[in-house]
Amino acid sequence: MGQEILDFIEKRLKAKKIEAYDILIKTKKNHENIFLKDSVDSFREVQSMEYMIRIYNQKEEPGMGVIHSSELKEERLDKIIDQCMTLSKINKTTKYEFPDKGLYNDIKTTESKIIKDPTSVLDDLSEELNSCIKDEKNVVPTFGRLGVIIRENYLRNYKGINLSDESTYLFLEFAIKAEEGKNLAEFWDVNLYKQIAHLDIQNRMKHWAKLAVDTLKAKQPRSKQDATIVFPPKILMHAINPVIGYHATGQAHFEKVSSFEIDKEVSSPNLTIKDNGLLEGCLSTFPWDGEGTPTRSTILIQDGIFKNRIYDQRYAILENTKSTGNGARTMDGNVVNNITNLEILEGDLTYEELISNIKEGLYVEKFSWLNPDRLSGSFGTEIRNAYTIKNGELTEPIKGGNVSGNVLTMIKRCLNITKERKFMQNCLYPFMSFDGLIISS
Amino acid sequence: MISNQLNLLSKEEIIQKFENFSGNFSRKNQYFDILYDSYESLRILKTRSEESIVSSQNSGAAARTYVGYWREYSFQDQSGLLDLMKKIPSVSDKGDLIQEFEGWKTDTTIKLKIDPSTVPLEEKVERVRELFTFFQKFDERIINPAVSYAEHLMKRIFVNNEGSILSQTIPRVRLFLQPIAKEGATVDFDYFSTGGEMGYEIFDEVMKLDLEQIANNSLDMLKADHCPAGMLPLILDPDMTGLVAHESFGHGLEADQVLRDRSYLKAYLNKKVASEICVICDSPAVPNKLGSYFFDDEGIKSEKTTLVKDGILKNFLHDRMTSSKLKAKPGGNGRRESFQHPVLVRMTNTFFESGDHKLEEMIETIDRGVMLVRGYFGMEDPLGGGMQCSSKKGYLIEKGEKTKLLKSITLSGSVLEFLQDIDAISKDEAFFHAGTCGKGEFDFVPVTSGGPYIRAKKGLISPG
Repeated sequence: MGQEILDFIEKRLKAKKIEAYDILIKTKKNHENIFLKDSVDSFREVQSMEYMIRIYNQKEEPGMGVIHSSELKEERLDKIIDQCMTLSKINKTTKYEFPDKGLYNDIKTTESKIIKDPTSVLDDLSEELNSCIKDEKNVVPTFGRLGVIIRENYLRNYKGINLSDESTYLFLEFAIKAEEGKNLAEFWDVNLYKQIAHLDIQNRMKHWAKLAVDTLKAKQPRSKQDATIVFPPKILMHAINPVIGYHATGQAHFEKVSSFEIDKEVSSPNLTIKDNGLLEGCLSTFPWDGEGTPTRSTILIQDGIFKNRIYDQRYAILENTKSTGNGARTMDGNVVNNITNLEILEGDLTYEELISNIKEGLYVEKFSWLNPDRLSGSFGTEIRNAYTIKNGELTEPIKGGNVSGNVLTMIKRCLNITKERKFMQNCLYPFMSFDGLIISS
Repeated sequence: MISNQLNLLSKEEIIQKFENFSGNFSRKNQYFDILYDSYESLRILKTRSEESIVSSQNSGAAARTYVGYWREYSFQDQSGLLDLMKKIPSVSDKGDLIQEFEGWKTDTTIKLKIDPSTVPLEEKVERVRELFTFFQKFDERIINPAVSYAEHLMKRIFVNNEGSILSQTIPRVRLFLQPIAKEGATVDFDYFSTGGEMGYEIFDEVMKLDLEQIANNSLDMLKADHCPAGMLPLILDPDMTGLVAHESFGHGLEADQVLRDRSYLKAYLNKKVASEICVICDSPAVPNKLGSYFFDDEGIKSEKTTLVKDGILKNFLHDRMTSSKLKAKPGGNGRRESFQHPVLVRMTNTFFESGDHKLEEMIETIDRGVMLVRGYFGMEDPLGGGMQCSSKKGYLIEKGEKTKLLKSITLSGSVLEFLQDIDAISKDEAFFHAGTCGKGEFDFVPVTSGGPYIRAKKGLISPG
């Protein structure tokens, strides 16, 4: 179907003698259960197809037109192409070149079980979810959403790139409540998972149930100016991806807002971070990026030293270098310079050793929303589920109070990194401890 | 290429097909509805390194029935209508599970002062470039101004087996100005954003603004201090007031959370939740705001819901399901992001009503406190009643006067304690800040939130 639509659109582009273009088609099938307490309250099946056309008008002041649509009737498609040409004539962009065909890695991006029968996968996982949560005696589920998604992408450009790719992933949002008298507590999580195994429902439900029950007894943290805090992979994802990911882009450098200079120290020497578009098990793993450039692994920070920037075609041309396969597509088809997956290399300690090294600190499982300012790196966020660390052990549960800090300075104060790492959406991250953070209560 | 997408049909043809299909399901046996959703949008973004112009359009439909649970199917093609008979089951005894309403009809289009579709694209791009150039030339420390203009035309057609045949066309426009400034290693910014159910006249309104002030606001942020951390008397500007009303309080009033036993406010209906000077409302019927419409995505007519009156919690927000189960009257809060997303209970325009204080008087009484300005983002905690609302900036208040400019600030703590501590609300007419709301981390819908200035005896803040 995708190739047929590509053929059709390309035929119309050629009929209008458009010289420089690319076409991206995205299809998506989503099968989803929404739970009310322990019952399915809604079953949804969604199918969609959309395409994006970019037309580059190479004139004295070059211009790019971008159209996002699902129109397939010939007369309407012709109008859309005309509109895209008009946009390209009005737009003033920097010099651009569509990529040539490259050597693409063969990466596993699907699970055959999902491709074969997504509804059965959804039913089985829903049953497992309910059965596992029923086994947890002191908690009840309040609501959840579980989705099984199949996505296909097709990309073709005038230089001969003709690519297709299929991927699968899962979505789970779940809230678990513990209750004791008038006291209520919950653990609530929303996440995308690349593989069914990553859901690890049985262990996940046990862990979340414990967090909910422990939070019933949670106290406010004590205020501290120079606190040591341990973060799990998901919190690191929220902290590091938007800030380090942004400062490492060619765009941030070109716009003179990046804090990172090549070969300069930017973090503690124990930290090595890679952008890795080839990392099997991560959500943004594809053989090619949104422009058709082969994805790859790029070291961003090595032993605390900033080594490389990541580029899409636009910023690679502006900075006279090559794209690193970091052209991502926005929902409406524009290309932005962005990370693929980030990987932090493992440290020397086990999780238990990392905790046991801390005399006094905090382990935060979940914040309200750690949403740092990507330019300055600063953040302030409320603690939802956490534990005090005292003499190397997790002790009393904590809820409430704020943690403030700055991601750009926090990575310079990384104490320890665990050997264990977890896949988390588009990351493979360990647990890490930092000092110098502020706790307000 | 053979195409038979739904958007090839006229409005009348879509309604006819939907009515025909809807006729397969007797309301006595089950509730059924179908929504056609289409949009066209244009986005122009200009930054130092990029000018992008993107035109976007998409359409499709979502059909569903309630058979003890919702069964829903979304599609883009007319053949999807044929699949519906296989996807949507017929049952015989589930009709009374969903509250029945009398069917109604409307066909509404918002009339604009200046319809953006009548303005040449070149002119729109030129206006964006002018704004960009103004900021770029204003001061060399403004290293990267970002100017973004977006227009969006939403068309929705709704048919159900209660006889409702509804159509609405809603234009929305937004403009965002962000002059990013840098001095030494410090990079910071302030921003201005506006939007609503309006047309191209948005540019005329922006031109009436003091653009120099917007630029200077960003430059001032370069010298801003971090805020003190701890419990302090606080004043919230209208943006922040709205953020508290929406993010910290309103999400707990969405009745799906009540049905889930997941709202800390479930036990508070008709009880005191805020100081007696507080009146908080949600209304999709406020004219011309970003969160406004005539009917929701379940065909319920838009109405104002008073959430809190004189400090007492009076109502929750409902969709068809929650109003059926909790025997309440829905006010049109069942919303979908698009045909690809589910109906969820959502806020629309959520606001504190005005009080009777002057802002100057509210500041004068504070010996040491903070004013939080420019609501930035927040996150809900429907079960725990916790609060996280961040402002882009603020001011230290010392001896009754605004003194130092402060960098971003996070307000947290217990929402109910904070609402009980409100001791003054300004006379100013409620201001509505345009934004986007996700439920959890997905399902984004346009909303506004706002109010006048409010003062709280104390609140927990920290650098954000």
